[in-house]
Amino acid sequence: MKKRLLSSLVCLTVAATSLIGCGNAAATTTDTAVSTETKTEAADTTATETKAEDTTATSGEKVTLSIYTQYADDDTKVPYDYAVEQLKEAYPNVELNLIVQAQDDGQTLKTLAATGQLPDIYQASTDLINTFRESNQIMVLNDVAESTGFLDKLYDANKDLAYAEDGNIYAFPFSGQEYVLWYYNKALFAENNLEVPQTYDDLLNCIEVFKSKGITPLALFGQEGWNTAAAFDVVATRYTAGGIKALDEGTAKITDEAYVNAAKKLEELVAAGLFQEDATTTNYDQASEKFLSGEAAMFINGQWYIEDATKALGDNVDWMFYPAQDAAAYTAGKAAFSGGGSASGFAVNPDSANAELAAEVAEFITEKYCEAKVMYRHNPLVALNTGKEPDSEYPAMMKKLSDTLPSVTSTTKFTWGLTNSTFNDGIQSESQGLVSGQFTADEFIADMEDIME
Amino acid sequence: MKKYMGNKLAILLFILPALAIFITFDFIPIIQVFAYSFTDWNGLTMPNFTGLKNYLDLFTDRVFFTSNRNQLIFAIVITVYQMLFATVFAITISDKKMNGRKFLRVAYFIPVILSVTVVCQLWSAILSGEGLLNKLFEVAGSDFKQNWLGDRYKAIYVIAFVNAWQWMGYQFALIVAGIKSIPADYYEAARIDGCSNVKAHMKITIPLLAETYKFCLIISLTGGIKAFTEMNILTGGGPNKSTFTLTYMMYNAAFKKSDYGYGLAAASVMVIECMLVMLVINFIFRDKDQKKEEEKARRKRNA
Repeated sequence: MKKRLLSSLVCLTVAATSLIGCGNAAATTTDTAVSTETKTEAADTTATETKAEDTTATSGEKVTLSIYTQYADDDTKVPYDYAVEQLKEAYPNVELNLIVQAQDDGQTLKTLAATGQLPDIYQASTDLINTFRESNQIMVLNDVAESTGFLDKLYDANKDLAYAEDGNIYAFPFSGQEYVLWYYNKALFAENNLEVPQTYDDLLNCIEVFKSKGITPLALFGQEGWNTAAAFDVVATRYTAGGIKALDEGTAKITDEAYVNAAKKLEELVAAGLFQEDATTTNYDQASEKFLSGEAAMFINGQWYIEDATKALGDNVDWMFYPAQDAAAYTAGKAAFSGGGSASGFAVNPDSANAELAAEVAEFITEKYCEAKVMYRHNPLVALNTGKEPDSEYPAMMKKLSDTLPSVTSTTKFTWGLTNSTFNDGIQSESQGLVSGQFTADEFIADMEDIME
Repeated sequence: MKKYMGNKLAILLFILPALAIFITFDFIPIIQVFAYSFTDWNGLTMPNFTGLKNYLDLFTDRVFFTSNRNQLIFAIVITVYQMLFATVFAITISDKKMNGRKFLRVAYFIPVILSVTVVCQLWSAILSGEGLLNKLFEVAGSDFKQNWLGDRYKAIYVIAFVNAWQWMGYQFALIVAGIKSIPADYYEAARIDGCSNVKAHMKITIPLLAETYKFCLIISLTGGIKAFTEMNILTGGGPNKSTFTLTYMMYNAAFKKSDYGYGLAAASVMVIECMLVMLVINFIFRDKDQKKEEEKARRKRNA
């Protein structure tokens, strides 16, 4: 009996020690994880939130707000750095803790939201705004927009961008109407005695000439679904001005003649060799390098690329109106652009310990982003009227775009502005299939029809 | 020892910590996966019960069949490649007369200790359109230039090869350890009986490694079913989801479309597939004694 009691006691001790051991280990692991992850985005948020709470609770002075935004290239770094500098003067007690946004279609942000770790301020796309609205994880900014004078500074053309479907403001947009531009290397066209293509027949001729010289006609970064969707959209808008926007809103069907014709035309262009063979595994850096180094003659990207393209190629780069099926369609289509604005921008976490302050800061940063984009990125296509002038002359391509804009009658959407996430996912992957040259136009139409059903 | 094994309280106390961890971190989440797969949960709001809708949608989804086909191809390629080469290499370096054994043992294992991201970046550079492999063909005067990672049919084989190349060393290490545990006497006896090296390995090494092979088979096949990282880095699941797997479907539905319910339905099917594979492997590798006992029981029943 004694032995049995003793053995039970020993077992209990062993088990208890193991549990305590586990408990300690778990605590240590968490501590280690937290300390290690100070470098990572998620833990940064937690640490910052805690810090912010502590600081406001105790001293009421220094407040650190976490901000989740893009910080990858000059177009995103310059505005952020400028905003931080300006913030120091306007809000000396506020410090920003940057969490660099991942190019992951909002997956990181959704995960942070699911685990209750949303940053104080975050850059939200239309899709995210709609998702977080349902879960009350995005602050209504109507009052802040009014009290700070944000609404008064908004350009009339961008008024719609501030409001969500339910009529509320959930994010302060800094980008205005944006456009998909079809860039081309003027020097390469001149060297090969080619005119800027106006029709698809002209384009097919250019493809043939460039391919015979070992030049990639158009470098696409098809690893990113938005670029392949944009490639489809620039063709689709030649047949129907609504492009992918009409499909997203459900006012058109993929089986409509215009979209079928657009798919077939793109299939024909791909078969002729418009894009590089490995377009679907090419990323932005690789495609851009091809274009800027003269290995590729054309490139499809947003108007934000004007600055970088001009810096690298100088006068040898320009953008063209999208080629169309014939001269008449080309002329008519000059007024219909792919791209457009979206209800996206800086949003605020309503559960933040300093939500009201964060909302004010978000508005301030938005304004400063617009200023920096105008002054240092020579991009007047911002959401707000900042009253600022660029530090040097606008690049020729931007001037050309500015001159064209008054005549633009319609735009579509970038994929981040689409509201139907099923359609968004479908058009990105199906257009990737189409530009790969391994999926036929018929497959594209049939699959998209299935997806939309 | 018998005394302790007879003490039910002791047994319970010893297994309790592991059991608690298993239940908390494995069992309950798996049950949750199955439960949420019957809802329209978006990851953030309260889920609504939708019955079998997610499963019906899944079974009629083109990508579901592509994913299953890819998993099968992936599993077969990595299993054949890893087990075949790991066995050949392990037997080769087990020969004590061989020079450079230590070097080869380390060399075969090096890819295992590399990060998957590093390995994928390495192979991505080799396999890209202007990559090393195509350049080699070009230098050799061949026009056999391929779109290795962008081909809707071939890409999955290439991805499977990359995975197999990296993890072969792991199975190699397991088989080497298995070979070391076989007493040298068996080989000596076989040699005295005039058995060749190849025959000795066929008759002694491979049959005695049955348990090791069983383990290797399980990790290869379930690894194939769960495959995700390589396709995510090398092809992003493209072109047009042609290199998707069920894990990728789950990831895409949950994180891109905020449709966790649908994603978890894909995950549930994946869990069932993994369990089925393990059951089949366990059935194939049953003990001979167990088989005999089953045979006896069957005879008794018939009598």
